[in-house]
Amino acid sequence: MKKRAFFLLISTVIILSLLVTGCSPKPTEPAAIDEPTEDVDVEVVNVGWIGSLTGDQAVWGNCEFNTVKMLFEEINENGGLLGKQINVIGYDTRGDAMEAVNAVRRLTSQDKIVALIGPNASGQAIAISSVLEEMKVPGIATVATNPKVTVDDNGQVKPFNFRVCFIDPYQGAVAAGYAKDVLGFTKAAILYDVADDYSQGLTEFFEMTFKEKGGEIVAKEGFKFGDVDFRPQLSKIKEANPEVLFMPYFFKEAALSANQARELGIDAVLMGGDGWPSEVLIEMAKEAIEGSYIVNHLDFADPDVQDFKATYTAKYNLPVELNGYLAYDAVRVLEQAIQNADSFDSVAIRDALKTVSVKGITGQINISADTHNPEGKDAAIIKIVDGDYIFQQKYSAE
Amino acid sequence: MSAFLQQMINGLSIGSVYALMAVGYSLVYSIMNFSNFAHGGVIMIGAYMGFFLMTALELPFAVAFVLAAIGAGLLAVSLERIAYRPLRKRNAPFLYFIISAMGASIFLENIVVATIGPTFRTYPKVFSSTPFQFGQISVGRLDAIMFLISGISLMMLVYIIEKTKTGMAIKSTAYSIRASTLMGVNTDRIIFIVFGLGGVLAGIAGVLFGMKYTVYPQIGFITMKSFIAAVFGGLGSLPGAVIGSILLGVIETLTAGYFSSQYRDLIAFILLIAVLIWRPSGLMGKITEDKA
Repeated sequence: MKKRAFFLLISTVIILSLLVTGCSPKPTEPAAIDEPTEDVDVEVVNVGWIGSLTGDQAVWGNCEFNTVKMLFEEINENGGLLGKQINVIGYDTRGDAMEAVNAVRRLTSQDKIVALIGPNASGQAIAISSVLEEMKVPGIATVATNPKVTVDDNGQVKPFNFRVCFIDPYQGAVAAGYAKDVLGFTKAAILYDVADDYSQGLTEFFEMTFKEKGGEIVAKEGFKFGDVDFRPQLSKIKEANPEVLFMPYFFKEAALSANQARELGIDAVLMGGDGWPSEVLIEMAKEAIEGSYIVNHLDFADPDVQDFKATYTAKYNLPVELNGYLAYDAVRVLEQAIQNADSFDSVAIRDALKTVSVKGITGQINISADTHNPEGKDAAIIKIVDGDYIFQQKYSAE
Repeated sequence: MSAFLQQMINGLSIGSVYALMAVGYSLVYSIMNFSNFAHGGVIMIGAYMGFFLMTALELPFAVAFVLAAIGAGLLAVSLERIAYRPLRKRNAPFLYFIISAMGASIFLENIVVATIGPTFRTYPKVFSSTPFQFGQISVGRLDAIMFLISGISLMMLVYIIEKTKTGMAIKSTAYSIRASTLMGVNTDRIIFIVFGLGGVLAGIAGVLFGMKYTVYPQIGFITMKSFIAAVFGGLGSLPGAVIGSILLGVIETLTAGYFSSQYRDLIAFILLIAVLIWRPSGLMGKITEDKA
């Protein structure tokens, strides 16, 4: 009997541990961060924000929310927009698409927001589009780079979704253009994750652009998410003798594959996308990635961004994450659209968003009415020199 | 030709990692007749032990390596006590052992996620990353050392099983646990020892894997492949586990190198299934009746 009781105890512990750690608790109501003010239509207008304030991506979400609040405070101090004060209401999505949908429902029906900023993740941004369309409220995503965020499966643009970042295929085209036209390489190889949309998008457009410009793809090898050994693929790539090796995936795989490539004696220049920048990458593969190039959203050392960086750090005593810069631009885009619309009607704001053109801190943002993406936005080319991310130049793919 | 040799070396190096992991599965299977899926969890904990011994306590590699192997052995033994012995005492069906093992494996993964965190860690550099060069062919220093350590560990295991009295008892228990008990073998002790040995091998595999790649809570996922290699070689047979692992590593590498890296797993596993249809008990397997 005693043993049975013990076994029961152990099973209970196992089951409980699964419940506690396996799935995070998901209450039905999104957590309110700022209580909405009562008089919505007198002097104050509500603008919504959603993103992760808890969970894995909390550091990015908090930075976005801080940025959005800080900018609207500044706007309010300077007399507000169209003579009205702006109130920002933010809800936590916990990185979950269902939570995002709930939060947007509450923001649009209860809090009567005129426009939404966020989320940063493509999965959530895609999930909320039907709610935005139903409630006729425009949303501006920050770092959601998947093409499907603003365009549906049939290629039709979604009427109420916008974004301020460039998209995955564009990154691929920028990398190819820079490798061919600026660095002068003619033989490229690609190693990519066959199980990942981001990696596939970058690969497809790198290949297309590089070939269009007269270059040759000498090898194209795949791996699957979860792999840690890339030497079979890299040995094959080595045989093809490329001048540049494009590695469009995240920093962990980038570090492992870069180390293994050097170990096999591949001396080609390595290139990656915005999945690369990270302290861990340098720590794991400092020597292997020396001299590599990265396509990023902006240059952190750019003089244009220093003012914002200093104000933010002074106010919150935290470093600015990549998301903060794009949240900054989302606010600027929305501000411009409201001024152009000369109204707080959300459909009028949507119409104005289609033709917004502002100089953001991550580059010139010209929203295209056809795609709702910022067209021809400059990417920042970063080179890794002595374990540091050194800005090279702004570059855009034609 | 040099490309082919390079790919063979890649395959051998990947295969030797699988082998170290697969032997643990086979060892437990040969005695207990069930697949100990918690083995992957023990490997993962072993890797974390090595990592923290080297970074937090700043112990030299050799000391950390031995301590992690012993620690993993102790963990495996306590798992047997907590998760399997109560079932064994009540003659539970084999399915229950597998469920219990899966539970333990999920438990270990989640406890690490909850306490240490889901992000991966990197071992400090112990060996230089400049490879040995033989003409066109390069062999990583760490690979060579891993191959050596795997070989020595496996040979020590074979020595224990073939040349010692305990080994004889293990073999007889594997043959028939009931008859061995009747002959006066303390089978509880043998099972304890087998789990301990499997755990030590898991610890060694964990530290080597962590050094070569990284440490993360889902390392157990990789051990699925070594489990498959163990089945391919013939579950319950130690040489089978080693040969199956090496073959899987080489087949994977050659498929990626000469056919298509995108379809690597597809082609490699179709080959494995074909072999299992031809020889259902695996390449070297002796056990033919249907067991879990």
